[in-house]
Amino acid sequence: MRIEPRESVSLAMKGIAPLMAVGTAMLVCSALLVWAGASPTQGWVLMISGALGSKFALSETLTRATPLILTGLAAAVAFRAKLWNIGGEGQFYMGAVVATWLGTGPFAMPPYLMIPYLFLAGAMGGGLLLLLPTLLKTRLQVDEVVTTLLLNFIVILFVNWLVFGPWKDPMAMGWPQAAPVVDQALLPQVLDKTRLHLGFFIALFCAVGVWWFMRATTWGFEIRAVGASPRASAFAGMPVAAVTVRTALLSGGLAAMAGVAELCGVKGYLTLDLSPGFGYSGIVVAMLAALHPLGVVASALFVAVIQIGADSMSRSINISSYIADVTTAVCLLAVLVAMFLTRYRIRWR
Amino acid sequence: MKKMMKLFAASALSLALMLSLFACAEAPEEKKAEAPATQSEATTEASGEASPDASGEAAPAEEKTVKVGFVYVSPVGDAGYSYAHDLGRKAVEALDFVTTSYVESVPEGADSERVIRNMARKDFDIIFTTSFGYMDPTIKVAKEFPGVRFMHCSGFKKSENVNNYFGRIYQARYLTGLVAGAMTKSNRLGYVAAFPIPEVIRGINAFTLGVRQSNPEAEVRVVWTKTWYDPALEKDAAKSLLDAGCDVIAQHQDSPAPQEAAQEAGAYSVGYNSDMSSFAPRAHLTSAMWNWAPMYVKTVEQVRDGSWQGDQALWWSMQDGVVDIAPMGPMVPEDVKAQVLAKRDELMSGVDTVFAGPIKNQQGEIAVPEGTSMTDGEMLGMTWFVEGVVGSAE
Repeated sequence: MRIEPRESVSLAMKGIAPLMAVGTAMLVCSALLVWAGASPTQGWVLMISGALGSKFALSETLTRATPLILTGLAAAVAFRAKLWNIGGEGQFYMGAVVATWLGTGPFAMPPYLMIPYLFLAGAMGGGLLLLLPTLLKTRLQVDEVVTTLLLNFIVILFVNWLVFGPWKDPMAMGWPQAAPVVDQALLPQVLDKTRLHLGFFIALFCAVGVWWFMRATTWGFEIRAVGASPRASAFAGMPVAAVTVRTALLSGGLAAMAGVAELCGVKGYLTLDLSPGFGYSGIVVAMLAALHPLGVVASALFVAVIQIGADSMSRSINISSYIADVTTAVCLLAVLVAMFLTRYRIRWR
Repeated sequence: MKKMMKLFAASALSLALMLSLFACAEAPEEKKAEAPATQSEATTEASGEASPDASGEAAPAEEKTVKVGFVYVSPVGDAGYSYAHDLGRKAVEALDFVTTSYVESVPEGADSERVIRNMARKDFDIIFTTSFGYMDPTIKVAKEFPGVRFMHCSGFKKSENVNNYFGRIYQARYLTGLVAGAMTKSNRLGYVAAFPIPEVIRGINAFTLGVRQSNPEAEVRVVWTKTWYDPALEKDAAKSLLDAGCDVIAQHQDSPAPQEAAQEAGAYSVGYNSDMSSFAPRAHLTSAMWNWAPMYVKTVEQVRDGSWQGDQALWWSMQDGVVDIAPMGPMVPEDVKAQVLAKRDELMSGVDTVFAGPIKNQQGEIAVPEGTSMTDGEMLGMTWFVEGVVGSAE
């Protein structure tokens, strides 16, 4: 068996592949639903209406998509430069930590200053966090996949220490959470009686901004060039190490902004369950979007629909919530495999 | 391309086959699966806002029903904390003017607010949110839905339409401690505990006071799991205590896993939430049990006749029937049983001396002087261990 790239991909195939992926995923998950004693048709209808069927469902899906867009952009930018940043989860929490640190009292500012300030400071925190493994990569050729991944655990244990130790909210009766951010730092609600907050539009703005940056600026061009071929870029006189560092600051900053958005938009205070794996899901989002910044928005919405829909479906028909997790995973896996198969073929010998 | 198509076709075919097989295998089971589905009528998160205002003004008086929602942190089938709450829900469901629905296994993180919010917007009259971590989401949602009443279990915040409520489970814990202290041989007892918060610390202290009442030499070792429901982790924690020489395992967790670990090691165990004897019949001494039915029924009746009031902290006791201990196992000697039941009668009559002085803290200093008792406020904010507990309250 051999895997080789396809010379040309027909339009029909590009169209059929995702449909087949969805079909396969539906078949696998239907089997699971039947096994759990539920009707698959009912399950799928509930899943779609649970994610899109009402104003409330839609608002929840958009709320879930907000951090996914930002962590997805973070992965897309880094992977474009072949900087394998697996540390989105850690950078997410670093953003939330910085926002908690600065947003719980030391500075009093009106919201229109406070919110940009926290986003910028949080982004700097995340960028600096990714700088460490990036410098190790550019200076000492240390593999960043390993270092960024392991940094996640260090950051999460750091947060663990903070919320169980010095930052524990004295008003929380021993519950491990940090003090809530001040009211001026809270992102305003966009839709009454829902959780949809300003962060969604900040995320959209970032997606357009990153798209423009990658397309229309010299720095963006350099990032793409270094990703395509570092040696050729160096030969052309580009400062490859500096470009990688810039990419790291941008990527880490975007992931950290997701943490700030989630903290100031949804939760209000730092806990250890702030993220159900947004940093890791961001990688999937970026891959589904083929690293295109605007595609990230679409794929983040897709992932959010699956996550919210599957969760709602499992609750509605009283089946194990693990089936929701499996459904999410199978859908994403199927789409990724289909994308792979449109670009490569498998030859049997 | 053709190869790929074949591959897909083959996998699709085999899947279809599997599917039909599953369908056959499951056919007789279907009825069973349907039973729990009926009560989820209102749980249906998906259904849009189509539901007409059921509580419409024009509805005739006798048709007026109270719609009650419950949010649980763990599965209801686990004999644990959520199971106990669900028994309370069933008692409410049995009233002819009530419809109930529940959502189980709701993590305390980002998803809990969605579940609570979703119930609030569906015209529930009252919503019970039954885990500590739901406190802030409950307060937040309640603010936006002033017409919905909320009951939050085990927290301390309240507002105009939110009450917090709990039971004096420490009274039952004390009694289980009396039993455990009389049964230990190694004078070392283990306690698998969830989070270092006052609710749990208070339980450990009451248990330890009971243990030391029966056996002043004994000590209670505490292990924190920092989770409410994680059977595998709870079992490992119990094993580590058993390995350290503990011969009675108590727990503040939602699953019976520590009971099973104790039985496997030939040790004794003390359950929590409900009578856990069926999970470890040879190990189970007794359990500290919840009985939410009287409280839930009363609350729902108050909602119906309009006497429900918000902004209250409710803390019911053994006298009110919300807490008790399970029948003691056959291995417990008769004289111990008699002693424990005598103390239980005292608590039943409303005399509560569990946290009466003198009580020493871990450093051996007098924390509650003789002649005084801890106030409710002090008990609710308890962050220190009594003498005899080995472990840190952090």
